[in-house]
Amino acid sequence: MIEALANAVGLGVHEPAFWMPLLFLGCFFVVIVAGTVLDGFDIGVGCLSLIAPESLRPRMLALLSPWRDANEYWLFLGMGLFVTAFPKAWGPVMGSLYLPLCGLALGVMLRSVSFEMRLRAPSELQGKWQVAFGLGSLVTAFVHGLLLAKVVVSFGQGPGYFWFGVFMGFCAVAAYVLLGASWLIMREAGELRARAVRWGSRAVRWFAAGAIGASVVLALANAGVLLKWSEGINRVAVLLLWGVLLLCFVSIEMCLQRMINSSYRTTAIPFLLTLVVFLAVLSGLAFSFFPFLVLDEITIWDAAASVNVLRIILTAAMVAIPILVIFNIRVYWGMFGLSRPPLPPDYKR
Amino acid sequence: MTYSALWFSQLQFFGSLSFMLVFFAMELGLSWLLLFYRIRAMSGPHSVWVSAYRFWVRVFALAFILSFASSLPVLIQLGSIWPNLIVKIGEVSGPIFTVGMLSAFVFKSCFLGAMLFGYRSMPAWLHSLAVLLVAVGNTFTAACFVALVSWMHVPTGATLNEGLYEVEQWEQVLLNPAFAWYFAQFVCASLIAASCFVVGVTAAKALGRPCDESERRVFRLGLWVMILAVVGLAVAVVGNGLMVAEHQPYKAAATAGYWISNEAPRFLWFAIPFGTELKNLFALGWTGGEVWLSRDAEGQLIGLDQSAGMLPPVALVFYAFRLAALLGLVLLGSAIYSLWKSSSQHYDAAALPLGWRRYLSWQACGGWLLLIAGLAYQLFGALPYVVYGTTTISEVFANNAFNHVLAGLLAYVVVYTFCLAGFFLLIRYITRHGVVPVARRRGRA
Repeated sequence: MIEALANAVGLGVHEPAFWMPLLFLGCFFVVIVAGTVLDGFDIGVGCLSLIAPESLRPRMLALLSPWRDANEYWLFLGMGLFVTAFPKAWGPVMGSLYLPLCGLALGVMLRSVSFEMRLRAPSELQGKWQVAFGLGSLVTAFVHGLLLAKVVVSFGQGPGYFWFGVFMGFCAVAAYVLLGASWLIMREAGELRARAVRWGSRAVRWFAAGAIGASVVLALANAGVLLKWSEGINRVAVLLLWGVLLLCFVSIEMCLQRMINSSYRTTAIPFLLTLVVFLAVLSGLAFSFFPFLVLDEITIWDAAASVNVLRIILTAAMVAIPILVIFNIRVYWGMFGLSRPPLPPDYKR
Repeated sequence: MTYSALWFSQLQFFGSLSFMLVFFAMELGLSWLLLFYRIRAMSGPHSVWVSAYRFWVRVFALAFILSFASSLPVLIQLGSIWPNLIVKIGEVSGPIFTVGMLSAFVFKSCFLGAMLFGYRSMPAWLHSLAVLLVAVGNTFTAACFVALVSWMHVPTGATLNEGLYEVEQWEQVLLNPAFAWYFAQFVCASLIAASCFVVGVTAAKALGRPCDESERRVFRLGLWVMILAVVGLAVAVVGNGLMVAEHQPYKAAATAGYWISNEAPRFLWFAIPFGTELKNLFALGWTGGEVWLSRDAEGQLIGLDQSAGMLPPVALVFYAFRLAALLGLVLLGSAIYSLWKSSSQHYDAAALPLGWRRYLSWQACGGWLLLIAGLAYQLFGALPYVVYGTTTISEVFANNAFNHVLAGLLAYVVVYTFCLAGFFLLIRYITRHGVVPVARRRGRA
């Protein structure tokens, strides 16, 4: 399969000009998945903090606190990788997304500033920072959907596309809300869990609608993608993916409903299933786009920087990635399961 | 209409860049000041420097938060406003970005957490080491980005081939003639911004009560750093001026307000440059100053009339330079005066006259203004080029619709104002009530 691909591009399999862009695309995908999922529960809890009762809000934000430092970095890493490894696609992609990107920049900035400021603010101002954090999360989630909609229709302009963008924005908010709510269900007991179950069960169908909407529009707007889905072995894979998505959505819905009906016991199932859904949707998108960065126009080999530059980046990354991996494992170690309260400080010294 | 979209886009980019750089400069300057406080505080838990460190590390944390958060808008705008720029200079910018961002990430993840949250839990020497490494990391990140900007102004070591830059020699790219002067200016300006803020906040604390021993030490150190940094900046500006005269003829001519080639140059203190008539309406200065102007191959002085329409905004460059110089002199004067006035009172800021303390607390942001004026001089002076001599700004512009740009600008103004207001509210709060440490533990909540 890889050889067929190399022949299609006109390069040898062992040429760096062939495999280096592939490698960087792989890294890019990993960063996007990690960013969507890890920053995602953060965004979701942030959105939910807007509608949560006032007494629960500080607890929700405190739950996020250990991961904020690390979560903030994924978007930077993704952008940095994109701008350095694929500079020739950076211009065409970024240049046609002015307004959504404004929203993204401001939403993310508002989130990171107000979270940290809230920690250090006097108690009478903390409520304001907390609302700002929620608003930032809401804007960020909405813009993620908007960006996805734009990318799916290859940056097309038009009234129909506008409403599709708005629809996807709402669905993205629902997706992050479901992720955040199911994470809360796993992390915390009591009233917060009971409320999280409600929030999650309201969001799950919108998320499903969004996932289907994105795929349908992707296939209808780009004939090449539809063709790719329906040829040979791919058809089975696509059907399998749809089956997995359906199964996951139904299971999440049933699980949440059972929690409402019988007991609010500790469970990680909705969170893990939501992770599977995110992974499936993102891999489906990646599969449909590959090897293009802008559909039917710019492949990863067109967009990649020269081999010399990629080599320098790779060397720098070789130094940084071990540190990065160790750091992330250390940080995200305690992300699953019930929240453990911090140990009291050691007063012996 | 497209002209105004371009103009608003420049305003927007310059605004977010200066927002980021102001807080980055605060972070850089404060990290070196904090290193000094931290090392002095190693003498024991009752050292007067402990409270200085604990107070100023909070301001450092706030500056870090703002500079880190506002660097994402700059990165995004680099793509959404100037999309073709990275396409053209990707070969140069790619590796510099990678090294800059990865080093920032590594230094942040390894040492910043330890610096901010590990004061009690780590041995003193290890914590001091973390503070040192944070300072080194910040300086390194600054060097990376200054290298890219200075290369864009004096593009040596790379050739333009079919619209794309190709690197020939990395040494020449990184150590271009402008790098050393730009870097020296940025470091000095950072130290000025930080020390000026330290002096201003200490004066604000002294409005209502006398200073304690630690505040006196901080005040004295801040004033000395301010004086030395302004002197250092003056040296760097002189070197930069000679470099500009050699490599950027129209920036040099715009700084001097020199319109007609080979006319006897004048060293202008003040003037009103008038672009449409190619002359100054009013000029105050004395003769001389050839050394700040460029000469062409025949040794004739180059004036702005030779630029064939490729003029920087002359008045803006002219005034920005003089504003920066004036601010530098004002800051230097105020620091010397405060040092002289308070030296007989054990450097107690509260011993200064009340009006002067008020003035100093207002002047806390004087270093920021100096930085912004200097940045405006450097960036707008290179216009209409973004890569000097080859790529103009309208070539890399995205041609975004005017109303989109305006809407974006307004949104940025709202959010930046909100963040700035939050910063000042917190500074006012800790100035009045002191700091309470915040805790954060890995993996536990």
